[in-house]
Amino acid sequence: MELLSNLGLGFSVASSFANLGFCLIGVLLGTLIGVLPGIGATATIAMLLPITFQLEPVSSLIMLAGIYYGAQYGGSTTAILINMPGESSSAVTAIDGYQMARKGRAGTALATAALGSFFAGTVATFLVAIFAPPLTAIALEFGAAEYFSLMVLGLVMSVALAHGTVLKALAMVILGLLLGIVGTDIYTGTPRFTLGITQFADGLNFVALAVGVFGIAEILRNLEDEHERQVMTRNINRLFPSGPELRQIIGPVLRGTGVGSVLGILPGGGAILASFASYTLEKKLSKHPEEFGHGAIAGVAGPESANNAGAQTSFIPLLTLGIPANPVMALMIGAMIIQGIVPGPGVVTEQPDLFWGIIASMWIGNLMLVVLNLPLIGLWVKLLTVPYYVLFPIIMAMCSIGVYSVNSNVYDLFAVAFFGFLGYVLSKLRFEPAPLLLGFVLGPLLEENLRRAMILSRGDPTTFVTRPISAGLLVLALAVLVLVFLPQIRKRREEVFTESDG
Amino acid sequence: MSVSKLIGAVSAAMMLAAPAFAQGYPERQVTMIVPFAAGGPTDTVARLVAERMSADLGQQVIVENVGGAGGTLGAGQVAKADPDGYTVLLHHIGMATSDTLYRNLAYDTENAFDYVGLVTDVPMVVVARKDFEPADFPAFVSYVKANGDKLTMANAGIGAASHLCGMLMMQALDVPLVTVPYKGTGPAMTDLLGGQVDIMCDQTTNTTQQIKGGTIKAYAVTMPERLALFPDLPTTIEGGLPDVQVSIWHGIYTPKGTPAEVNQRLSASLQKALADESVATSMAELGTAPATAEQATPEALKAKLESEIARWKPVIEAAGVYAD
Amino acid sequence: MATKPRDDTDMIAGLLLMAAAAFFGWQTAGLEIGTSLRMGPGYFPMVLSGLLFLLGVLVFLKSFGRTGEPMGPVAWRGMLFILPAPVFFGLTVRGLGFVPALFFTALIASQASARMRPLPALVLAVLVTIISTLIFSYGLGLPFRRVGPWLDF
Repeated sequence: MELLSNLGLGFSVASSFANLGFCLIGVLLGTLIGVLPGIGATATIAMLLPITFQLEPVSSLIMLAGIYYGAQYGGSTTAILINMPGESSSAVTAIDGYQMARKGRAGTALATAALGSFFAGTVATFLVAIFAPPLTAIALEFGAAEYFSLMVLGLVMSVALAHGTVLKALAMVILGLLLGIVGTDIYTGTPRFTLGITQFADGLNFVALAVGVFGIAEILRNLEDEHERQVMTRNINRLFPSGPELRQIIGPVLRGTGVGSVLGILPGGGAILASFASYTLEKKLSKHPEEFGHGAIAGVAGPESANNAGAQTSFIPLLTLGIPANPVMALMIGAMIIQGIVPGPGVVTEQPDLFWGIIASMWIGNLMLVVLNLPLIGLWVKLLTVPYYVLFPIIMAMCSIGVYSVNSNVYDLFAVAFFGFLGYVLSKLRFEPAPLLLGFVLGPLLEENLRRAMILSRGDPTTFVTRPISAGLLVLALAVLVLVFLPQIRKRREEVFTESDG
Repeated sequence: MSVSKLIGAVSAAMMLAAPAFAQGYPERQVTMIVPFAAGGPTDTVARLVAERMSADLGQQVIVENVGGAGGTLGAGQVAKADPDGYTVLLHHIGMATSDTLYRNLAYDTENAFDYVGLVTDVPMVVVARKDFEPADFPAFVSYVKANGDKLTMANAGIGAASHLCGMLMMQALDVPLVTVPYKGTGPAMTDLLGGQVDIMCDQTTNTTQQIKGGTIKAYAVTMPERLALFPDLPTTIEGGLPDVQVSIWHGIYTPKGTPAEVNQRLSASLQKALADESVATSMAELGTAPATAEQATPEALKAKLESEIARWKPVIEAAGVYAD
Repeated sequence: MATKPRDDTDMIAGLLLMAAAAFFGWQTAGLEIGTSLRMGPGYFPMVLSGLLFLLGVLVFLKSFGRTGEPMGPVAWRGMLFILPAPVFFGLTVRGLGFVPALFFTALIASQASARMRPLPALVLAVLVTIISTLIFSYGLGLPFRRVGPWLDF
C-alpha cells in the first residue's frame, strides 16, 4: 500500500538519530519560550527562526515544526495558569482553564490539554497523510462568499459562547469587529481609525490586545483588594485526570478533533474558528452548560484538541499548495525558501523524503510533547505557589519583551497598556472579553470577504445563497441562532405568563 | 546598594561579556532593518546576504524586522538613525513607489539616505488560472482586450508590486479590468488556484512551483530578457507591451551622512556576499540572480532609485491610488 | 430613600457603549460609503457603529427597574503602576538599552502591590533582568542593544 510505504519512508527520515534530536530540541525550546507570558507560537518561531538556518532542510523543518507544537502547548499553559493567552486559539482555553486553575485543578487542566492535544495531533497527522490532496481541493472551493458565510457562522457561535447576557456579548463582538478594522483599508488604501498614527496602519497587534484584555485585566482584578483576595488553592496534589474526568473528556476530544481538522485546512480564518467552534459545540451539547465559564473540563478538552488538530491540518495547504494558512505557516515558508525549497505542489513528487519526513515528525513531535510535558506539569503548577506579587512583575517584564520583539513597535506596547485598562473597565462592567477577541480577529476577514464577494459577483448579493457551500454555512448559522434564542424566547414567554398570572 | 550603582554593575557585567572590539569599522554588530515581517520574501533575501556579509565584516549583521505601512515605518526608522553605518536598511521597489503612494511620508526618499548597492532583481510573471482560455501571450492580449471588465485581476494590496504591474498592464492595454485586492500574495494565489479570479502578476518566488506543477498558467515575463528558469516564456516586450516592465529590485541603504568609506566597506562586503556560490544557488531557487559587482555599488543603486521614482510617479498618479 | 431601583453597572456599560459608538461613528464620518459593487471604506464601519450605538441604548434602558451587584473595589494602585510598565519599556528600550529598560520595567510593575517591600522588589528586578538578558539577548539573539546610546559616556 502506497500510504504505508510513504509513511515508512517518512518515519525512516524522521527517526534518524539527528532528526529525533532536533525534534526534541524544537519541542523543548518551543515549550520553554512559549510558556513565557504574552509570547505565543508566532513570536516564538520568529525568535527561534535564525537558529534553524544552519541545519539541513529536513532537520530544520522538523525542528521548526517541533517549536510550533511546543509553543502552542506552552501558550495554552500560560492561558490556564495565569490567564495570558499568547495566541487566538488559546484564548478559548483561558476561559475555563483559568477557572479550573483557580479551583486548584490546574494540573488536571494541563494534563487534559496535553492528552487532548496528543490525541488530536495523532488523528490529524494521519488525516494529513491520507487526505492531503483531496482536502486541498475542498479548500480551493472556498471563495470569498464561502469565507464570508463561514465568518457569519463563527460570529453567531461567539454569541452562543458568552455566558453573560446576549445583549452585552453582541456589543462586545461588534466592538471587536470595529477594533479589528483599525488600519489601512486594503481596497482603497484609506487609513481608518488610526488617529493619524502610522504605526497602526497595519492594524492593532493581536497579542497586545489579548495580553491586555485577558492578562493585564486579570492582574488588576487580583490587585483590587490584596488582603481579601482569595488565594489560588494550593491543593494541587493530583495531576492526572481521574476515571470519571477521563470519561467526561472523551466526547469533547473526539468532537474537537473533528472540528479542528476540518477548519484547520481552510487558509485564513479557519484555524482561528476551530477552538471557538469546539467550545460552542461543547457548551450546547453539555448537560451542565452553566458550568462553562466556571471551570468546565470539557471547555478545556474540546478547544485544546480542536486547536491542535487545526495546527496539524494547517500544514496541508502549506505542503500541497505552498500557501500559508496563518502567520506561523508564513514563517515556515520563509524558512523553507532560505533552505532552498520553494513550497508548492512540486514538493511531494520532487522531494518525497522531505514531505513524508515532516509528516512523520509531526506525530513524533506530538508524542515527545506529551511525554515531556506530563512530568513538567508538576513544575508549571508549582509556579502558582509563588506569591502573586512576585509573579506579576515577572509577567509584565516578559509581556513587554514578547510584544515588542514581534515588530519592534513601541505603539504595540502603548496598545498593551490601553487594552489592559479597557479590559479592566470592561470586566468591572461585567462584559466578557472572549467575544471581543473573536470579533477582533474576524472583523477584517468578514469585511474583506464581503466586499470581495460583492466585487466578484458584480454587485449581486444572491451570490451568498446561490453558491452551495456558502448557502449551507448560512443555513447552519441560522440553525445555531434558532437554537440560541429559542430557549430564551420560551423562557421570556413563561416569565410573561407567570407575571400576568400574578 | 543604590539603584544607579546596581544598574552600573549589571551593565558593566554585560559590557564585559561583549566581544572584544576590532580596529576600525565595524566595531560592533550591524543592524539590518527589514521593513517587512520575518519570513517574507524580502526578509529571506536579507537573511541570505546578512549571513555572508557577517563573515566578511567580522561582525554580526543582525536582521531586525520593523514591519508596517508598506515598509515606510522601517525606512523611516533608518532615516532617523545615527549615520554611523551600524543601522542599514534593506528595502525593495517599494522604496521608490512609496514616495508617490504615501503623500505624508515622514522622510524625503531621495535625500534621507545614502546608498550601498543593489542586491537582486526578482522577476515577475503574468499568470492566470489554469483553465484560462488563451493559449499564448498574443492570444492573451487580444482576449483581455476583447473581454475587458468581464475579467478579474488579483493583487496583493495597494502599492504592492502585483498592483503596480496590474496598473501598467491596464494602462498599456487600455482596458479596465475588475481589480480584486487581497492582503498579501498568499491569499491572492489561493484564489487564483481555485479559479475564483482570472489574472495576476506575481514574483517568481511565489509562482515558479505553481507554474511547474501546472496549477496555474504563465503568459509572460515582465523583464527585458527571458528567464533561464522558463526559457519558453516570452517577455512582455516580445508581446508588444514594452511598457509593462516590473521587477522587485532590492537595495541596501544607510542614513544620509554616513561616511563614504563606511558605505564603500559595506558595498565591498555586499559584492563579496553576492559572489558567493551558495547565495547564487539560493537565489536561483527564488527565480532570481544576485546583482553583479557593477550593480552592487552606491552609484548604481542611487541611479536605480531615482529612475524608478520618476518612472512610477506618473503611473501611480494616473491611476489615482494612494496608500494613506 | 425612595429612589427607583437601578443597575448602576449596566447603566455605565450602556453609556460606555454609546460613547464608543459615537467615537467610531465620528471617525467614520469622513470615509466614503461607496456602492454595493464597490463598497467604500466607510460602509462596514458605519453599519457597525450604528449597531453598537443601538445596543448601548438597549443596555442603558434595561438597567432601570432592577438592581445589580455592586462594582466592588477598584485597583487604583494597580493601574498606576502596572499600566505604565510596558509603556516605559517601549519608550526606553532603544535609548537606555535592553538591560536597564527591563530592570526599571520590572521595578515599576513590582510597586503595584502594597505587599512588595523595597529590598525584595530590587532583588526581583535584578533577577528578572539577568535571566531575561540571558534568555532573550544571549540565547535568542534578539537584536536590541543591551546598553543603549543614552548611557554612552
